[in-house]
Amino acid sequence: MLTSAVITGLGLGSMYGLLALGFHVTYAVSNTVNFAQGGTMMMGAVLSFTLSVTAGWPLMSAVPVALVACALWSILVERVAVRPFVRRGSNSWLMATVALGIALENVALFTFGRDPRGMPPNYLTSHFVIIGGLKTQYLQLLIPLVGLGLALSLHAFFQHTRQGKALLAVVQNAGAARLMGIDVERITTLAYALSGMLAGVAGILVAPLFTVSSTMGTLFGIKAFAVAILGGIGSAWGVVLAGLIYGVAEALVTACLGSTYTQIVSFSLVIASLTVMPNGLFGRAGVRKV
Amino acid sequence: MSATRAVVAGLALTALGVFIWRADNYQLYLLALVGLTAVVGVGLNVLLGLSGQISLGHVAFYAIGAYVVAILTTKTSIVFWVAWPLGGAAAGAAGALLAVPALRVRGPYLAMVTIAFGFIVEQGAVEWSGLTGGWNGLIGIPTPSVVGYKFAERQIAFLVVILTALTVWLFARLEAGPWGTAMRAVRDCEVASQSIGLDPTVIRTVAFAISAAVTGVAGGMFAAMSDFISPESFPFFQSILFLLVVMIGGADRVLGPLVGAIIVVLLPELLSWLAQYRLLFVGLLLLVVLRLAPGGLVGMVARLSRVGVKDRYPKASRDVTAMLSAAGDRASLVVKGVSVAFGGVKAVANLTVAAEPSRITSIIGPNGAGKSTVLNLVCGFYHPDEGSIRLAGRELAGLSSDAVARACIARTYQTSQLFGELSVIDNVLVALRRGRLSFRDLLTPDREPEQTAIAQSLLAFVGYVGPLDRAAAALAHVDRRLVEIARALAIAPKVLALDEPAAGLDPGDTHKLGKLLQRIAAAGVAVLLVEHDMKLVMAVSDHVVVLDAGKKIAEGPPTKIQRDPVVLEAYLGAQLNITRDRKTPRSTGTTVLATKQLSAGYGGPDVIRGIDIEIEKGELVAVLGANGAGKSTLMSALVGLNRPIGGSVLLHRRHIEVLSTSRIVAEGLVLVPEGRQVFPELSVIDNIRLGAYRRSMADADVRCERLLDRFPPLKVRRRQRAGLLSGGEQQMLAIARGLIAQPEVLMLDEPSLGLAPMLVENLYDLLSNLRDEGATILLVDQMATLALSVADRAYVLQSGSIRQQGRAAHLRANAAVVQAYLGAPEPAGDRT
Amino acid sequence: MKNVCSGRCRFTLVAWATASIALAALAAPSSLSAQEPIKIGHVAALSGGSAQSGEAITRGLSLAIEEINAGGGVLGGRKIELLQRDDESVPPKGVVAARELISKEKVVALFGGIDSPVALATVPVVNKEKVPYMGVWAAGTGITRNGAEPNFVFRVSAVDVLVDVKLLDYANKKFGSIKPGLLLVNNPWGASNETGLLEAAKSNAALHIVGVEKFENADVDMTAQLTRLKEKGADTVIIVGNAAPGAQLMKSRERMGWTVPIVSHWGISGGRFPELAGPTAGDAHFVQTYSFFGKQGTIGERVLAALKKKYPQIKGPEDIFSPVGTANAYDAMHLLAKAITQAGATDGDKIREALENLSGKYEGLIKTYDHPFSKTEHDALGPGDYIMVRYDGEKIVPTQ
Repeated sequence: MLTSAVITGLGLGSMYGLLALGFHVTYAVSNTVNFAQGGTMMMGAVLSFTLSVTAGWPLMSAVPVALVACALWSILVERVAVRPFVRRGSNSWLMATVALGIALENVALFTFGRDPRGMPPNYLTSHFVIIGGLKTQYLQLLIPLVGLGLALSLHAFFQHTRQGKALLAVVQNAGAARLMGIDVERITTLAYALSGMLAGVAGILVAPLFTVSSTMGTLFGIKAFAVAILGGIGSAWGVVLAGLIYGVAEALVTACLGSTYTQIVSFSLVIASLTVMPNGLFGRAGVRKV
Repeated sequence: MSATRAVVAGLALTALGVFIWRADNYQLYLLALVGLTAVVGVGLNVLLGLSGQISLGHVAFYAIGAYVVAILTTKTSIVFWVAWPLGGAAAGAAGALLAVPALRVRGPYLAMVTIAFGFIVEQGAVEWSGLTGGWNGLIGIPTPSVVGYKFAERQIAFLVVILTALTVWLFARLEAGPWGTAMRAVRDCEVASQSIGLDPTVIRTVAFAISAAVTGVAGGMFAAMSDFISPESFPFFQSILFLLVVMIGGADRVLGPLVGAIIVVLLPELLSWLAQYRLLFVGLLLLVVLRLAPGGLVGMVARLSRVGVKDRYPKASRDVTAMLSAAGDRASLVVKGVSVAFGGVKAVANLTVAAEPSRITSIIGPNGAGKSTVLNLVCGFYHPDEGSIRLAGRELAGLSSDAVARACIARTYQTSQLFGELSVIDNVLVALRRGRLSFRDLLTPDREPEQTAIAQSLLAFVGYVGPLDRAAAALAHVDRRLVEIARALAIAPKVLALDEPAAGLDPGDTHKLGKLLQRIAAAGVAVLLVEHDMKLVMAVSDHVVVLDAGKKIAEGPPTKIQRDPVVLEAYLGAQLNITRDRKTPRSTGTTVLATKQLSAGYGGPDVIRGIDIEIEKGELVAVLGANGAGKSTLMSALVGLNRPIGGSVLLHRRHIEVLSTSRIVAEGLVLVPEGRQVFPELSVIDNIRLGAYRRSMADADVRCERLLDRFPPLKVRRRQRAGLLSGGEQQMLAIARGLIAQPEVLMLDEPSLGLAPMLVENLYDLLSNLRDEGATILLVDQMATLALSVADRAYVLQSGSIRQQGRAAHLRANAAVVQAYLGAPEPAGDRT
Repeated sequence: MKNVCSGRCRFTLVAWATASIALAALAAPSSLSAQEPIKIGHVAALSGGSAQSGEAITRGLSLAIEEINAGGGVLGGRKIELLQRDDESVPPKGVVAARELISKEKVVALFGGIDSPVALATVPVVNKEKVPYMGVWAAGTGITRNGAEPNFVFRVSAVDVLVDVKLLDYANKKFGSIKPGLLLVNNPWGASNETGLLEAAKSNAALHIVGVEKFENADVDMTAQLTRLKEKGADTVIIVGNAAPGAQLMKSRERMGWTVPIVSHWGISGGRFPELAGPTAGDAHFVQTYSFFGKQGTIGERVLAALKKKYPQIKGPEDIFSPVGTANAYDAMHLLAKAITQAGATDGDKIREALENLSGKYEGLIKTYDHPFSKTEHDALGPGDYIMVRYDGEKIVPTQ
């Protein structure tokens, strides 16, 4: 029972981590996030389902198209609901992204349909290994690996590519980055695209475990935000680690106390840990300037 | 409240009364819903509008109020009229409790805490089913009744309208009163609010509690009029709608929540024919409103109707000098043996300074000497590691900054910290109370005529002549300085600490400021001045203390300081005779970079005006000047970080003043900024490579290696994170990062700042080598002698204009340079 | 307040003017004349996760209304007109919508949707306003048994307490279960059935419920709950929940390699259960009021044909999602029309009395109704009208 909880927890946790990474990259670069990130995740799942099942495309082409669409949507969100507000020094981007999220969810409702759908079985979902007396799908083992793999490749992208380093430079000192000739606006766009893709990947990966529906992203997005905050939104490894911790903790609470207490316990933990560590578990405090 | 407004409000309420009398049950229910939503909106407005904190979990307070009323009236014999206030009180208590974690976090963190709270309350209502009925909820909640007469929809609607009107009216009292102003002050600028004695923790907690209590009252009414509540009556989405009410209507506007509630509740009803497309429409509409009416609809109307409104304050004059003199016993501020270290670096070491009443004590010193740190120590923003700070014998070290302010130490800031959204007069009025806020003040409007008169007189005393109702954020630079000083005087200080009050002022205004400081001192206040403008310091100070690298190096009367060789060395650099002349003379080249009548600033008055400079190919040109003369502004204007206001910048005779920074950098104008600004988490080699971001990468590796050969310490640490390098190494790195782009002109802003003397020597040797190799360099350095030791030519900047220019060799021996830095030694009789 | 009287005054006016205009627009009176249509309201989830149920009910209602109007309408040729409102599955929204339809649109009767909480919140309103309310899906026991006198709430749908009796009875008879375990969704519906199932178990001394477990709609792994039931020796698992979590439950059961029989409330038929649950979908036996699969009666054939004609995407019974919503709504609408005719007026009280004393038989889709309601019984369907079915591929086939 606990084995199963840990496997499920790691799987969900790495999805929270991916979404939270998306919050992290945009927050680090621009101090803003797409609050409706859950909607982007839903878009990834819904599009990959529609393209691969309804339209009959092979997964090999459906998945990349869905991911590109997520990235484009994310860029649109930044242009329409974030940049204009940041430019006039307003915090209303938070509500504006929520507004776009509501719109997206409803558009999905009318185009995709109201019915939760299930991904057809594939190699990864129909093959098992037995762990602790439980059949465990390959996919369930794969998800944490993909999650960590993506975190690693993101790390590699930051460490070994010109754009990745430019992004890090903007994070660390936007003013100096401008002096290097780095176009901060373009980097922000890049960060949003990246964040959209990460959400899309999370959506595509959980689709076979969950059901695909227009409302699948909402609660997931909120939990991922909790994870991002908990991890200290400025720290990439912090949010991934916080995702895994949150996922496993949630699954263990469900397994031991029953899922009725999952939300109470996990959200109480969020408040408690932020009270003790206001910058998240892995975040660093800023220096107070007067 | 003016008569006209009372009439309008009365008429509106009467019309509403007639409407209620004739309306059907659906209209009554909607009306009640609009009313309750408006009440919640008003509550949220206290939090969001006045104190500037966001809550995405406000539905939780609504639920708490509703459940308290529902449980008490269905499960006990307690009647609605008793249960109702209890519901509000319970919500208020929960709000105060939530304030504990909420106060520790900001922005998205706060959003998350409130979201989590909302979910916990919702799920708690589910799980605590013995009390709340769990998912099944509570049914059969009795409607309010009076002596056995049960309220029907019509009476409830009346009740809600009265409640709404009352809430709006109370909010109007609150926002106009001392608490409202204090909340706005904390919202606009926490730091400054502390320095007028306000305790942000208390004020934010009160805002949270009031907001929650009002929301709980609305929730209690909702339970009584709905007959049935369950956890599903309070979904997360409702919290977003509440926020929407405030944002659409207009945060920090008395009527904002009312207008917002009308739209948020009624619009979906008007759109009910849209059925399932309604949410889509609402989402898009929200986006449009946020984009087009940032201050909400009421904010938009107010802005449009505000044009042409005039001040209507009666003339008033109170004797400010007498007021300041009457502030109790005159006492000296004595700082004794104080040290403080940040991350192992001693910012201030064993410092002893005294500020005597009726005297102006100035603290001067080169950049980074620790002057502002001293003020922050005195004012309680930092706590000393050792030593004591006493005012009239009372120990202040370790007190919080608001407690220090209440002990009558006032201060101003390097960049004026006004409460931007507050009017000029409110900025002063809020300080007059010196942090004294009682709960009785919650609903008393602030504008006692005497207080207003004193505030007006203070503003007149400092020489402010503009409109009193203007928002402080809209003031001109000089007025911001004056209002800030008036605000500081409003707490009737014994000590007034000023951090570079003359920065950015023109000579005329600086002169007036000097006179003002003298008048303040004459009234008996101990003035503690940190200032770069040496002319001002030398003209007004009774006593000058010179700091360098956190240590006191000299003190005494101005005339003595101006001639003190130790001071001169600290300012101008040591070894006035060292030169790094070219081995072979340079032949004249073509002009690479030129400016024509360049002006730039930061929204206020121009910081630099009419600058004409020219740099030839292969030339090293220095720009000299005291701090605040406009050197860095010139640099950032050249690279487009700060768009020039007028004039032009020509690189190879092409206009570049219109280009973006990234384009200018690509054109070959590269700035090594003040303070190095390396990317601390990136490795040395990555930092260097980023310098070539806009250049082709083909031979970047080769060039990178060549640069590393040039800087052996960097080569050793090529894989280390730049943040771990020493200051000197970071400066090398910043230069290497600039050089890799092979710039047309390399510009360096204060490269020697904060470096040990040894390293400064090395740095300048390096610059002279670069120069000899034919690099074109524009150098800004406060250390005039150093800069002149390598420069071919130099410009001397004073107060934003070029005062002097010429060959470096001529300037080296020029007294005018000294004057630009330390102010002219003037005869003592010149002071008034 | 601030010293900008002229400005503030102006926008005080603007604020009130906005309010008045908005309210005036809402207040626009609608007078009734003999030839005007009879308005029937429908408040249900038209958006959100349960939107499909609203669509299914709409289909049933529209079909019945078309038949009634084609047959000349009611009360001397007045046509029936359907007005729909979305409650977004949120009770307060449902209450506002119900009040709007009653007060502003003057609807003669209201139809409800899938959500018991919305229905429960609406009950006090309709009883106060004296407008008959037809429940066609929400099975919460307290909806019709609400203690009001007179009671304006009627239902043509399953009732949780009766379904619960049926489920335990079926588990016992079909699988010989004496130690059933319960696995319920953590929401009002699950709570209602927990009470009902525990109550129903008391009537059979041989039967003992060994454990009650809960799950959330978003849960993906239910092995923990199932393992606990298994350890307590459960020989059947009774589930109450919707298609998506129900499917996750079947997957978890399969992963455990546990072949325990599953008996379910009808929630799993509200979505694409076979697609979501995979190969073991057929192991779940569940309750329905009606199935379009198998041999249809004359009414069944007629309705199926009409559905195919009206909704081209319906090719056969497998395309009819949430069939109970359509079937219940279809029958309920016809019953209501008969009651209006019998009452001879659109007065709520008269219609209620007519419904309670409906004369003559009505041959409906689910069954032939004979005096379906009485003063004390406001549920038209009872345990005898429930059928047990299971999925065979995409088809629903009877198991009895």
